[in-house]
Parts: sequence; C-alpha cells; structure tokens
Amino acid sequence: MATREVFESRWQAAALLLPTVLVSIVFLYAPAVRAFELSLFEVGFGTGEADFVGLENYRTLLTSSEYHLSVLLTVLFAVAVVVGVMSFSLVVSFLIHEVEVGKGLYLVSAIWPYALPPAVAGFVFFFLLHPDLGVLTRPIERFGVDVDWFSSGPQAFALITVVAVWKQVGYNVIFMSASMNNIPGSLTETARLDGVGRLRRLLWVYAPIMSPTLAFLAVMNTIYAFFGTFAFIDVMTQGGPAGATNILIFDLYRDALQNFEFGVASAKSVVLFLIVGGLMYVQFRVTEKHAYYGG
Amino acid sequence: MPDRERSGGSVRRSRRSVLRTSGAALAAAGVAGCVGGGGGSGGSAEPVNDELTLWHAMGGGNGETLNALGDQFEKETGISITMQFQDSYESVLTNFLGALESGEVPDFAQIDSLFAKQVLDTGRVEPVEELLSDGFPVEDFLPNVTSFFTVDGTLQSLPFNNSNAIMYYNRTAFEEAGLDPDDPPSTLSEVRSASETLVDEGVVDAGITWPNHVWFVEHWFSTAGQLLFDAENGHAGEPSTLLTDNDTARDLYEWWRGMAADDLYVNPGIEAWGQATSAFLQQEAAMLLTSTAFVAGARSGAEENGFEVDNAFYPTVGEERVGPVIGGASFFVPSGLPDDRREDIGAFLEFMASPDAQKQWHKGTGYYPIRQTAVDELASAGWFEENPMFRTALDQLQESGDDPATKRMLVGPARQSQQIIQDTSVPVFTGDTGVEEGLSKMKSDVENELA
Amino acid sequence: MTLLETIVDVPNRAAEYLSGERTGDRLARLREDGLAVHAALASLVLLLLFPVLVAVIVSTKESGIITGLGGLVPGGNTYANYYRALVELEFYRYMLNSLVMASVVVVGKLVVSLLAVLAVVYYRVPYKDIVFLFILFTLLLPVPVRFVPLYRLVTGLGWNNTVLAITVPYLASATTVFVLRQHFLSIPPSLVENAKLDGVGPLEFLWRVLIPMSKGILVGVSVIIFVYAWNQYLWPLVIVGDDLQVAQVGLGQLRGQAQAGDVAWALTMTGSVLTLLPPLVLLVLFRKPLLETFSIQRK
Repeated sequence: MATREVFESRWQAAALLLPTVLVSIVFLYAPAVRAFELSLFEVGFGTGEADFVGLENYRTLLTSSEYHLSVLLTVLFAVAVVVGVMSFSLVVSFLIHEVEVGKGLYLVSAIWPYALPPAVAGFVFFFLLHPDLGVLTRPIERFGVDVDWFSSGPQAFALITVVAVWKQVGYNVIFMSASMNNIPGSLTETARLDGVGRLRRLLWVYAPIMSPTLAFLAVMNTIYAFFGTFAFIDVMTQGGPAGATNILIFDLYRDALQNFEFGVASAKSVVLFLIVGGLMYVQFRVTEKHAYYGG
Repeated sequence: MPDRERSGGSVRRSRRSVLRTSGAALAAAGVAGCVGGGGGSGGSAEPVNDELTLWHAMGGGNGETLNALGDQFEKETGISITMQFQDSYESVLTNFLGALESGEVPDFAQIDSLFAKQVLDTGRVEPVEELLSDGFPVEDFLPNVTSFFTVDGTLQSLPFNNSNAIMYYNRTAFEEAGLDPDDPPSTLSEVRSASETLVDEGVVDAGITWPNHVWFVEHWFSTAGQLLFDAENGHAGEPSTLLTDNDTARDLYEWWRGMAADDLYVNPGIEAWGQATSAFLQQEAAMLLTSTAFVAGARSGAEENGFEVDNAFYPTVGEERVGPVIGGASFFVPSGLPDDRREDIGAFLEFMASPDAQKQWHKGTGYYPIRQTAVDELASAGWFEENPMFRTALDQLQESGDDPATKRMLVGPARQSQQIIQDTSVPVFTGDTGVEEGLSKMKSDVENELA
Repeated sequence: MTLLETIVDVPNRAAEYLSGERTGDRLARLREDGLAVHAALASLVLLLLFPVLVAVIVSTKESGIITGLGGLVPGGNTYANYYRALVELEFYRYMLNSLVMASVVVVGKLVVSLLAVLAVVYYRVPYKDIVFLFILFTLLLPVPVRFVPLYRLVTGLGWNNTVLAITVPYLASATTVFVLRQHFLSIPPSLVENAKLDGVGPLEFLWRVLIPMSKGILVGVSVIIFVYAWNQYLWPLVIVGDDLQVAQVGLGQLRGQAQAGDVAWALTMTGSVLTLLPPLVLLVLFRKPLLETFSIQRK
C-alpha cells in the first residue's frame, strides 16, 4: 500500500484538497452548525423573533412517544431498504454480467428508472396501487391480498419500502456492474471449470471480491434511506396511517418546511445526524475489518 | 402532485426576484435564531419590484384568467403590475412570511384562508380597508364572505377567489339506479341510502367520495351550526380546544365509518383532490364533494366520460342546515410600504373587487363573485339560468344565516391542526380506533398545538 | 502506456486462453442457461421499467385517467401534450436551465473530486485520512438540514439568481471522492511506481494514467451526479427566479390546479417523461465505458 504514495509535497496536496474542503466548510458544515444552533431556540416565522429555550426542544423529543416510534420505524425502514435494494440489485447486476447478448440494453433499462424524479415516482406508484382506484389493485387482489395501505400500517410501510427500493436499484446496479466488470475473467473461468453453480459463484466468489463496493453501497443506501425518501411519503401516505410511515426525514421536512417550527426541526436534524453518523461509523469499522480491498 | 394544491399555468409573468426575498427571510429566521435577537424590518418595507407585484398560486386556466385581469388593469390605469406564479398556496405562504421577515416584500400575496391567522399574527400586514378610497362601497361586499376576513372590526385582506364545498352528482347513474336525479340527497343519511341503491343496482362501485381534507369536516360542522374551535372558531379570541365532544362530531364519524365499512365510500387519500375527482369522473363513485371551482371541470369531464353531471347543496349531518364556511384565498398587503405606492395598491384592490372584474373572474373560474352588484348583474343577464351549476354555491352561501359556526377556523397553528384532524380521521373511519377514542385524541393533540 | 496496457490485458488474455480450449463446450452451456437467464433478466428489468412505461403511456392520453389494466394503451394526444408542455408552457426553457446546471455540476464535481482524491491516495502527507473523513461526513448534511442558513450565506454573497448559486454549493462530493478513492486504491501500486520512475508529475499522472484507467467508473459517477443535480427541487425553488429555474420546479407549471378539478395527469407525466430523456441519452451514449470499465470482459 505504502508504495502508492509516490508524491510528498504538502503544499501540492493542500492545493489539490482545497476546493473540496473549502466548499465543504463554507456550504455544508458552517450552515449545518448554524442550523444546529437553532435547536436551542423557539423561532417565530414571519416576525424574526427567536426565544432562547435551552434544551427544551430536545426535552420535547425525549418525552414524545410518537417521536420514539418514528426513530424505531426509521431504523427498521433503513434496514429493509438496504437489504432489499442490495439483494435485488445484486441479482440484476449478476444476470446482466452473465449474459452476452443484449447486455447494454439490459443495463440501460435497469439504470434508467433511477432517473425518475422521486415525487413523480411516488405519484406513479400512488396511481398504480391506490387501494380503490389503482390500476394494479384489482389484479393484485385476485391473488388474495387485500390492498389496504390507507388503513393498514404494515402495508403502508411495506409499500413505501418497495418504492424506496425500486427507486434506488439503478444506483446500485451502476456500481455493482462496474465492480463485476473488475472481476478477472480467469476467476470466473476457474470457478466454472470447477463446476461451481451460479448462485454459489455469486455468493462465494464474486461477493467477497466486490466487498469494498458492497460496503460503499451499504453506506450510501443507508444514507439514502434516512435522507432521500421523504418525497414518496409526502405524496403517498403523509406519514400515516397512524404514524406507520412517519420516518424521521419526513417528520423533519414537515416541521421545517410546512409548519415552520424551525427550532424543533433543528433539534430533530441534530438527532438524525447523530443516529446516521453513528451508523456510518459502525459500518466503516466493520467494513474496514472485513472488506477485501484487493490490489 | 395531485394531492397538493400545486397549480400549473402561465409562466410568462414570473420574475427573477420572486423567491429571493422569501429565502432571505428564511435565512433571517436562521440568523435571528443564532443571535437570539429579532430580525426584520422595524416597520418599513422595501418593494421587491418597481412595479406592483402580486404573488399568487393560480395555475392552469385560473392563472390565465388572473393574468387577463392584470392586463386589463394596466390598460385602464397605466399602472404596471406583475403577477408572479408560485406553485402552491403553501409556497406563497412560506415566501410571504419570509418576505415579511426580511422586509423585502411583494405588494400583494394571495393567502389561503386557512393560513390567514398565521399571516395576521406577524403584525406586519396592513388592513386593506385602510387602502381603499373613502367612497368605496364596502357594504356591497357579500357579508357572508367579508365576515371571515374582518378581524377586530376591520377588513384585513381583500377576499378574491372564494368558494365553498358543494356536492356534484352523476345524473345518469342516479337515473339508472332508479333514483330521482332532480331530488339529490341533502343529508348524510340520504347520501347513505342513495349510495346503497346505486351500489345495489350495480350502477357504480361506491356512492360517494371526497378528499380527506379538513375543509370538508369544517363544512359538516358549520352546516350543523356547530363550532369546530372554541372562542367562536378563533374569531372571538384565542382558541384553546377542538370541539369534538358533541353529537355533530359523533354522528359524522359514525356515518363516515359506516360508509367505509360497507364500501359505499371511496377513500381517495389525504388531500387527494385529484384522486377524488378522478373517482367521480371515471364513475367509481356517483357523488363527489368538492369546491365550487370544479364547476367548469365537472362539465367538461362528465362530457368526456359520457354522463350528465349536476350539483346540489352540501349534505348536512342532521336535518338542520345553517351554512357553509368559506374557502379560497384573499389578498394581503404588507405594512410599511412607501406612501407613493399605497394609492396604486388601493387602485388595484378596487379594480379586483370591481363588479366587472368579479364577473369575469366568476365566469372564468367558478369562484363566486364577492360583490352583490356583480351577483345582481349576472342574474339579470340570465347567466345563472343558463348555468345553473354556477348558482348552487352562491345560493348555499346566501341562504346561510349569520352564525358564528359559518366563520371558518382562524387559528395560528392551522396547518398542524389540519394535519391532526386529517390524520386522526383515518383510523376512525376505517374502524381501527373507536369513534370516542379517536375524537378525544384529535382533541388533545390539537390542544397541544394550541397551547 | 504500453506497459500499462499489457498489464491490464493480462487477465483478459488469461480468460481467452482458458476459454479457448473449450470454446464449444462453453458456448453450448451459455445457450442452455441463456434462455432461463434471459427470461429472468427480462422480467426483472420490466418490473423496474414498468412505472416509467406507465408514465409514458399516460403522457399520450387526454386527461390521463386510467381505469384499469385495459387503460394502459397509448392514447392519441401525444403531440398535443408534448406541444403544450414544451412550447406553450415553455418547459423547454426549464430543461435548458437544468441542462446547464447539471452539466456544470457534473464537470465541476469530477474535476474538484479528482484533485482531492489524487491528494488522498497518492500523497504521503499527514492527516489526510482525517481530511477524507471530513469530506465523507458531509453526506450527513442534506439540504433540508441546512436550508435556512445556507440561504442567508448565498444571498450574502450576492449569488442569488446566478448559476453560481445552484452549482457551487454542490461541488464538494463525498460520494465521488469515496468512489474514486476506492477505485484508485484498486489500481496496482506497481503501475504508479512505473509512472514515478518515468518522472511524471501529479497532474500529468492524473490525466494520462489514472483517468484513462477509470473511464467506466467516471461515466457511472457522472450519471449519478447528473441525475442528482437534475432532480434538485427545494434549493433552486428558493434561490433562483424564473429565468434560471430548473425543470423540477417547472414541472409545477404543468400540474393542474387539483382543487379546481383540473386533472392534469397527462401533462404532469409528459413533463416527467421529458425530464427522463437527458439521463437516457447519457446512458445510451456511455453504455460502453460503463460496461467495459477495464476492458476485461469483452473483446
């Protein structure tokens, strides 16, 4: 590894890092720190009045059972999304990798839906799976499933998860395909010659080699599940029924941009930051130990 | 999305500075928070543009009608005005609150009546009554409309696009089911029996639909003469509670629950205006509760889908019928604008409130005119005879008594209260929560927001 | 460079060599498994594409109300819808703005991130891991979290209503830095040492050695950045006015006023389909580098 570090000029390194670091500080960290300060205030919107309330906003969160439910739901949701999207994408990427004919067509078709704007994606699914009016509702009900996610919490949760997974598959396929293309053909051949079946080849030969990519995707998908999914909920369930889909980012979005409760919303951002930051840290520690960084 | 009130339409009048102030104001909120002091303008305000500027949420055909009125105003007075479309009532509210805070403001903002209190509470808007010239015939406004917009005895904002909820029904389906299309249901129990007949005869899948929006609950309360909030729905002081411990509330939710249990009601979803309309137009449900502004859309939509449509008064919870609450929006004007603009601002308000403009607006959109003169002129020109559907909402409004219950809720945390009422309704009508239990949860959650 | 190519080509040759002996056998197996695999793949991909296909179909209809599966056939309003959206409601203008914004963000992010990764991977300097973590943790700060102060800052700079406002704040990219770092780490160090022996400077090294070896991953990342930038809504909505406004906000102009009974689903979907075209073009154009990252797989 050490041999890779062939350049030594500190000022050169600093100059190369400067644009990214500068933009990070100015446009990301500084505003975030300021936003976090807001969590100590009760802010009146339209008048500019802000009352210092200390940790009151945090106390509200600490004692709110609805918020606790929301935290729990979000963690469950993130786990479901990460596992769902990665297993589905792994299969799709693997199959694309396996075929010779139509590779490009399959790849483009698998990635393209990822470009659909989240709100539009939510709307299309609403349209397709509306409990009373959905285009697919009756065909699905023929299989004995009562499509009822307006009142069934578990169904609503499952629906949101499916949509969130669907939306993120393209992203995963891009990286997984690239990573599979890195696998030396010789390895594939050896496995084939040894009569290793497809599934076992995917799980025991490819996956370990792809582990850095998979680790990266686990982190990215976690962040996506926590931060990138509020549009689906805004369009389809508004957090309901009975809070069953009220995940943290939607809750925060509603408080900040619909109800103008900036103080509480900021406190919620801090909590969210800590939760995801902690998860990310754990993921890094785990993958550092286990991921195979080849080369 | 169809479920929010996003509107689309003409873009030619948008301007680059539209949202600048709004964001600045949002930012000001942040900074104020950090330093713990009050930001803002201390009484004087800067206009965002040299010419008069109106921020609005009217898209599609309504936006085009509004722009035409703006052009006419320019032609008649030589005063220029820009109409700036801002996506939704929610965006206009956000941007306007931000603007008030930063001190760089538009001259007019079209604010949804639901959010009126939030704007009034900033103390940074000027009552429009003070901008109208002395001779302006204030008494010609329809009293049922202006009563909502009059706070502390002064007209605070200029009612412009106003509506109430009415019932649309599918005449063709009624006939097929052997119901009399000239005698539509007028109470909830009649809605239920008509729905049963319609479904039993196999004409439609369900009887009725409406978006799960607080406005409909407000209508059921007001038509029953029942206040929704104490302190006269917020018009006689600060409200502290939601009034759900009464027969109106119980009867309403029992009925709603029964309709849902027997599949007589299509639940389109929370704030799902578009889905409700579609369910009606694609004849899944034979009755639809929605805004009077749907009149034109109902006619063309029904034609396209091959049935005859009509409308009627909003169905009441019991036998009593007091009156509807108003809906729609009004124009607010920020305080502290330079004196030399105030005359122009007044001129525009008077123009928009003029009988001619109101007639044009009514015909183009289905919102009712707010001037008695306009109503009279439309009537004598035979407009309502030719277009009886346009008449219904107005009749419903004018037959209404002067009851505090018909004044729409005027509460600060309106959006929060709205969300609680809508969200909590769901488990009640699906049967997952008891009616009493749900209503008391609704009450205590709203009380928490009001406290 | 020839040396590089040779090294890169080794696994490829090995594969050829290995498969060469038993070509017939292998082809037969492929064909045998091929049908099942293709069937599985086709149905999975169709599942993914289905919502997009629905959007396309709705965009060809008059009102866009669909009553059942039978309604999923194209309507006759295609031209009218696309004309109204693009020309009458000037959606093309928003798309052009988005195109400018997204292109600037893609190029800017790539350049800025490549430089940073060059330092992180190929320089022996202290604290660079901390700097890397510092960049990485910006992932936890999405726009809704820092919305309010960011506005103050950008207006304070006088950038509102400029392209700078909707591009510069996006330039730091944890994702790009992470991906490129990981990719560079997978390039054998021996290659680097060879380059070093040839006395190549850092920027030339980046340009002539690293970038040619990273085409696939760069294209993949570009697609992702493009889609990310293209789908921005909240920030452009408040920071720029109509002249620079982006397609996601412009979509709002196509939606009817639902409360007034406007059921403008066809137009909404027309706009959505239009916003899907640029990413599609990008994918089709660059599918080859995407497939052939290291030119290992195919001949």
